[in-house]
Amino acid sequence: MTDTDYTPIPVAQDSHKDTETKRYHTFVNLALALAAITGIELVLVYMPFHPIFIFSTLLALSLFKFVAVVAWFMHLIYDKLILTLAFGTGMVIATGTFVALGFLLSRNWVDVDAITQF
Amino acid sequence: MSDTEHQEDGHGSLVINNKKLLMWLFLGSDCMFFGTLISTHLIYRKLYPESYDPLLVFDLELTSGSTFILLMSSVLMALAVSAMHKGELKSFRLTTIGVIFCGLIFLACQVYEFAHFTNEGLTLSTNTFGSTFYMMTGTHGVHVAIGVFWLICLYFYSYTGKMDAHESAVDVEVAGLYWHFVDIVWIIIFTAVYLIEYIPGLR
Repeated sequence: MTDTDYTPIPVAQDSHKDTETKRYHTFVNLALALAAITGIELVLVYMPFHPIFIFSTLLALSLFKFVAVVAWFMHLIYDKLILTLAFGTGMVIATGTFVALGFLLSRNWVDVDAITQF
Repeated sequence: MSDTEHQEDGHGSLVINNKKLLMWLFLGSDCMFFGTLISTHLIYRKLYPESYDPLLVFDLELTSGSTFILLMSSVLMALAVSAMHKGELKSFRLTTIGVIFCGLIFLACQVYEFAHFTNEGLTLSTNTFGSTFYMMTGTHGVHVAIGVFWLICLYFYSYTGKMDAHESAVDVEVAGLYWHFVDIVWIIIFTAVYLIEYIPGLR
């Protein structure tokens, strides 16, 4: 099969291509930012800063990477709100599970050894 | 513009493509799945910090390298989706091959890492750290492998001549969503499981 066998997209070809070209630049810029952030994260853990500062910064940077990929690479900002809600619901439940388990399985609250013995 | 065309572009249309909606719902449920796996690992790590010292086996340079590769594969995937929307099949094939290659490198790094850990005595049944670590990263690895297989199928399908411009653009976009999700899960795992271990005051 050659490229000519492929049926080109017939709808609003020029404007559609312009949009995709703009996105191309966004994707490349974002890729550079993500690579730089990963580098910063790697260096940060070896820096003699306060552990809480390092932890908070790592958390903020990974959240930024997470949101950036979801928003731009996964086109969520260009798509319908219901898709954000569909994904957001899962995220909220996952985060809630983490927080709830963190509290419930704190050593101060319950006898963890008793409930984890099999 | 017909309804079908509205479905494809996703800008200002009233119709949401069923495949995309289903994939987003699946990703939402997969979030919960990985949320529990990561939570379990972190909670056991907090409860039994003395059970194992992961710095004995962790290789941050290798993991950072594989993280970088996975991030770059996400960019290539975004470009593959963009190429498909523009109807540029040649560009789609090129970027898809790039994504597949990056995915395979990531998997190879993970296999190497697992082999190294096992040789160092850390297995699935060694302790709670081993159990939760292998379950979490192994499940993620399986997701990557499925993604690679999916993209290989799409790549070869592009040579059959059966690719329809509209429907295939959505199919590639759905595969792209899955691939990006695998990437964001690793972003969390990289920070929450690997990097945090290197912060001296938190150990």
